[in-house]
Amino acid sequence: MRNKSVRDMRLWERQQFSLESKVFRQAVVGAALLGVIALLAAVSLNIVSFVRQEIRTSIGMARSTAALAEAEVDMAGMAKKVREAYDSLSEEMRQDRSSAAYRAQFSHVRYSQDYVILQRILSAAYSADEVDDIYIGYYDEKTHALVFIGVPEEDVSAGYFTGGWERVSRNEIHKFNHWDGEGALYHISRTKPYGFLCTSGVPIYDSEGNIACFALADVTFMDLIHGVRDYVVQYTIALYVVVCFVGFLTSFRMRKMTVEPINEIAEAAEKYARDRLNGISGTEHFSSLEIHTKDEVENLALVMSDMEEALSEYEEDLTRITAEKERISTELMLAKRIQANMLPSVFPAFPERGEFDIYASMDPAKEVGGDFYDFFLTDDDHLAMVIADVSGKGVPAALFMMASKIVISNYAMLGNSPKEVLRMANETICKSNREEMFVTVWMGILEISTGKVTAANAGHENPVLSDENGHFEMMKDKHGLVIGFMSGVRYKEYEFTMKPGSRLFLYTDGVPEATSAEEELFGNERMMAAVRAAAAVPLPAFLGKIRESVDAFVKDAPQFDDLTMMALEYRGQEIQGKGEAENEHSENG
Amino acid sequence: MNIQKTVEGKAVTLVPKGRIDTLTAPDFRQAVAESIEGMDALVIDCSELKYISSAGLRVLMSAHKSMLQKDGMKIVNVRPMILEVFEATGLDEVFDIE
Repeated sequence: MRNKSVRDMRLWERQQFSLESKVFRQAVVGAALLGVIALLAAVSLNIVSFVRQEIRTSIGMARSTAALAEAEVDMAGMAKKVREAYDSLSEEMRQDRSSAAYRAQFSHVRYSQDYVILQRILSAAYSADEVDDIYIGYYDEKTHALVFIGVPEEDVSAGYFTGGWERVSRNEIHKFNHWDGEGALYHISRTKPYGFLCTSGVPIYDSEGNIACFALADVTFMDLIHGVRDYVVQYTIALYVVVCFVGFLTSFRMRKMTVEPINEIAEAAEKYARDRLNGISGTEHFSSLEIHTKDEVENLALVMSDMEEALSEYEEDLTRITAEKERISTELMLAKRIQANMLPSVFPAFPERGEFDIYASMDPAKEVGGDFYDFFLTDDDHLAMVIADVSGKGVPAALFMMASKIVISNYAMLGNSPKEVLRMANETICKSNREEMFVTVWMGILEISTGKVTAANAGHENPVLSDENGHFEMMKDKHGLVIGFMSGVRYKEYEFTMKPGSRLFLYTDGVPEATSAEEELFGNERMMAAVRAAAAVPLPAFLGKIRESVDAFVKDAPQFDDLTMMALEYRGQEIQGKGEAENEHSENG
Repeated sequence: MNIQKTVEGKAVTLVPKGRIDTLTAPDFRQAVAESIEGMDALVIDCSELKYISSAGLRVLMSAHKSMLQKDGMKIVNVRPMILEVFEATGLDEVFDIE
């Protein structure tokens, strides 16, 4: 049978297994067991003391009877006469003990003056009702018989008269005839009509000091057996009442002290769980419990109350922390939007300029990033392009990035060449940079009319350039020191010319250092392969295509660096002219 | 990351092992700061360095600045991959690389 949980039980089963009924059963069984043991002890003690008392009484009776008889009557002589008559009889005659002939053999004793006195003594002792019978007799070893000398009331058929006899055990005969005078002389035998019968004797001696006969007193234990039976019945009834009382009292106490408090705790726990599910906090289900049992149950209630309080506090803390986190998160979202709004984000960026097109994207690893890109026309013929990567991440990098972006674009808008812009930006940033942040910057200025690019690199990644046939190569340009490290740095400038149809791909280290779950870097080779694979893709989808390759490589591995890319396609005057012709054509159409 | 440190007179040599990135740079920064206290010369042995991010570069840059008034910071046993990073950032012109 599988074990049933208390939850699966029906009501009657719960009652059967409840603590209260367990305690009741245990108390009843315990009390009953104790009662039965007490009963057995009491009964056996009772029997022993009763038997002792009876024996004492019978010996006392026998002793006083013997004393009286010896004083009034010549008991030794009487005994001698009976003995002589008994011994003279043949075995056949003895067997016929109820016959008048047999009895006639003892009539000289029976009808003597002494016997009348003896009989009176015995009758008086008998009628005192202390013993069941009292008589005078001797034990005859030859015939194994107890021969009666004097009896209070004759019973001829039972051989109970002067000279009559009854068969007794050798054991009894030996015990009486060879008594050493120590202790009480008695013998307990089992007889048919009386059950257990105790015969106590006091010897009467003749002039020579031999035992002439005994004063004998019989007690039966019928009274004792009846007494014990009544006692057991009464005791059992009393025990039943006491046991039930103890059981009910114990289970009542158990219910008051344990079961009800436990049920209260269970009920409080249920309410508490329900309230929690419904989102009610700060409850006092456990602390409002009134349990003062001063035991483990009270301790349990206190522990539960502490738990409720601690959980409530914890929840409050959690709510506050969550709210705080939400606030920070909201602020970060706002910061992200502000940062994104700082960067040109409408594409195509210059729909009116057919000579070139430019796209860019930035994906910060956190809400806000340290990468940025920028592009703007410094005049009609010059497009400035900036891609930069601030060391570090998150809010500090984002703040540094904002400052860098503004400084660089301000200097560029003044018409400075890239090396000058970088030098001036470095001086400005170094002056106020206490945090040892730095920013890597690649900056180029495209002369739109000719395709000539003047560029300077302050510690940034190598740009990637394609020729007019879409063949991409990484440029090994001259790198100056990162911006923000130390003042007085001068940057070198270089030039290259883009032919119509060629593209320039700029990026931050988030691209080559994108990391897979196996901790492998995307690397320059894979990046170049991705760029080349995207060569034929129109510019608006070009960066997205490269991004797909990066994503396919890193899969679900979390990225720790911002990922920023920018791509310029130079179309030149010719294509622009062609574009204008097309426009004219469509206008004409 | 695990950083091995040996002191010889007033010169301390650090051997960073593995990667110095955003996560491990704070440990590297602390190790450097503790090591250069009372020292005249700092040597960074890059023989066991696999990767260094911009956060790691910042630590080197600040160490370089701290050692300018003394005997300077030297970078030795630079692998090609790490050297590329120094070259790309222009730091190869600033640091004393052997």
